[in-house]
Amino acid sequence: MAWNIGANDVANAMGTSVGSKALTLRRAVFLAAILEFSGAFFVGSSVSETIQKGIIDFQVFEAEPMIFVLGMMGSLLATGALLQVASYFGLPISTTHAIVGAVIGFGAIVGGLDAIHWNTLGWIASSWILSPLLSGILSYAIFGVIQRKILFALDPIKATQKLTPYFVFLCFTVITLSMLSHGLHLDLPIFTAFLISCCVGFCASLLSRLLLQRKVQPKLQLAEGFSPYQAVSLDKALHHLQRVHLSNHSDSYSQQISQILTQVQTLSETVKKNTPLLHSTHQYQGVEKIFISLQILSACLVAFAHGANDVANAIGPVAAVINVLKTNTLTAHCAVPTWLLVLGGSGIVIGLATWGWRVIETIGQKITELTPTRGFAAEFGAATTILLASKLGLPISTTHALIGAVFGVGMARGLKALNLQMIKEIVISWIVTIPLCALFSICAFYLLKLCFL
Amino acid sequence: MLTLAKLFGKSPFAPLQTHMDKVASCIGELPALFEALMSQNMQAIQKTCETISKLEHEADLTKNDIRNHLPKSLFLPVDRGALLEILSLQDALADQAEKIAYHAAMRKLFFLPEMKSDFSLLCTKSIDAFILARKVIQELEELLESSFGGIEAQKVKAMVEQIAFCEYETNLVQNQLLKRFYQDADAMPHPAFHLCLTLIEEISNLACLSEKLGNRVRMLLELK
Repeated sequence: MAWNIGANDVANAMGTSVGSKALTLRRAVFLAAILEFSGAFFVGSSVSETIQKGIIDFQVFEAEPMIFVLGMMGSLLATGALLQVASYFGLPISTTHAIVGAVIGFGAIVGGLDAIHWNTLGWIASSWILSPLLSGILSYAIFGVIQRKILFALDPIKATQKLTPYFVFLCFTVITLSMLSHGLHLDLPIFTAFLISCCVGFCASLLSRLLLQRKVQPKLQLAEGFSPYQAVSLDKALHHLQRVHLSNHSDSYSQQISQILTQVQTLSETVKKNTPLLHSTHQYQGVEKIFISLQILSACLVAFAHGANDVANAIGPVAAVINVLKTNTLTAHCAVPTWLLVLGGSGIVIGLATWGWRVIETIGQKITELTPTRGFAAEFGAATTILLASKLGLPISTTHALIGAVFGVGMARGLKALNLQMIKEIVISWIVTIPLCALFSICAFYLLKLCFL
Repeated sequence: MLTLAKLFGKSPFAPLQTHMDKVASCIGELPALFEALMSQNMQAIQKTCETISKLEHEADLTKNDIRNHLPKSLFLPVDRGALLEILSLQDALADQAEKIAYHAAMRKLFFLPEMKSDFSLLCTKSIDAFILARKVIQELEELLESSFGGIEAQKVKAMVEQIAFCEYETNLVQNQLLKRFYQDADAMPHPAFHLCLTLIEEISNLACLSEKLGNRVRMLLELK
């Protein structure tokens, strides 16, 4: 399972960076491996616990713990099998949905409908709908900022240099906060954690500012003393003067006004000639170049978040099984053992190393639309959502969060063409995956029961 | 998974530019046509007319291709209607070029020597307007990059203003030409008179359409 996740889903995080040539394939795989692992290791336990014991009620299985073990194994097998089938037919099935569906299926059949925590399940289901929405809104906002402050600025490169430290601050704050507030078992109060992560973010942003200053950026090709702002201001002045000219009826002023008007007109034309309005392409390329490093950062964030959320799909059931086998009873207070998180993380890394890099390459070739500015906005929105969900212990689909984020950027007029049919496919995958997987897991459960009991 | 790759549809903007290139190849034949018209070389006119007709047909094929591959489920940064309007304006330009060619090939026309210079000025002016409009369309890629704002939008706005000025100049020339034309009209046979009038109208229409195209693109911009 972990192998499967590593093989298929990591590409979502790193594909765009490889596609926009921000990273070489080798470096992308390396970075992804580190971050997936640390994400799984530090923040992964929360979601695992949900899958382990949040969905179905233990009390029902107290008498026969072995049934529970078989059921969990069955769900794992079913999900693995279904994912292989789905990837063979090219169906968009999310690992998360599959495992949740499988656990529900076995729980409902064996323990009856009462065995399922409908409350938690309701939370999980609503998070599936809310997570694409939230990541969409976040990335819409981020891209909106990029648009207003950078792309619409008259001197985009300078604006980028000004804004980049803030983005770096955001990224680092989010990642440290998620690590501190859950992962390291430090039990810091939320305020302290927030303060510390802000400090880390601040240091990182200072560093990025220094790095940016050291890099020599292509300067505007300006004649001495001209700035593009002048052209726009003069345009406005001209506009107002024309208004005065039109509304004026007394003869005594009109000559003066028209004199000023012609003067301003000539001035505006000279300024326009000297401003770089005709060399804008160069500017946007410069912006994208700076954003490459930001995109790498956000891709790392996605990889981290993805490790945090999706490792649970593989090790959640295993954690439950191991707990039962160790103690031979079902206890409600079982934490996910650390070595299991390591195992899950390693599984993802192995999957990435053996198969995932190929998928990254394919995705990178197919998604060339996500240029660094767009990629950063989308990935940041998705990663923040996924980390939030991980913190709350909700298993969500990273792919769907990312799709929501991409749509968010599209809504802000950032992308050329998006396929709206994907929304339909997502909804279908919500509806179809769960019963299908439940069915699979029930079959697997009875098969295992036949073999072992 | 490849889900993410499927999310991105086929962008219609590159084909739109290809269509504009085809339209430009149509209109690129017009100077040769006008030259042949001046020297009353019917054979050359006929030949150019056929070329233009063929090129126009090619442009039409591209146009239909774009229309066929623009499903409603495609989410674009511009309104779908706006895109189709731009496309049909481009198509109208190609059509106009074809019409001019057909009318030029109708019968032998002769121009009074003092009208010749004005006529060729009209031709160059309206073709200039078209060249500017084509440049605006070529800016689409950069406009998408800047999501239709900022200095790129300022640049396109300036270009559109240039087209408008060019169109205004064309109108002036047309007016001057028509005035002289009506003064000498008594000497002309009726069919030739009518044909000449149509030709002048159509040629200046090129500039008019170019201006419309520019303004349609301008409406996509987000200017402060």
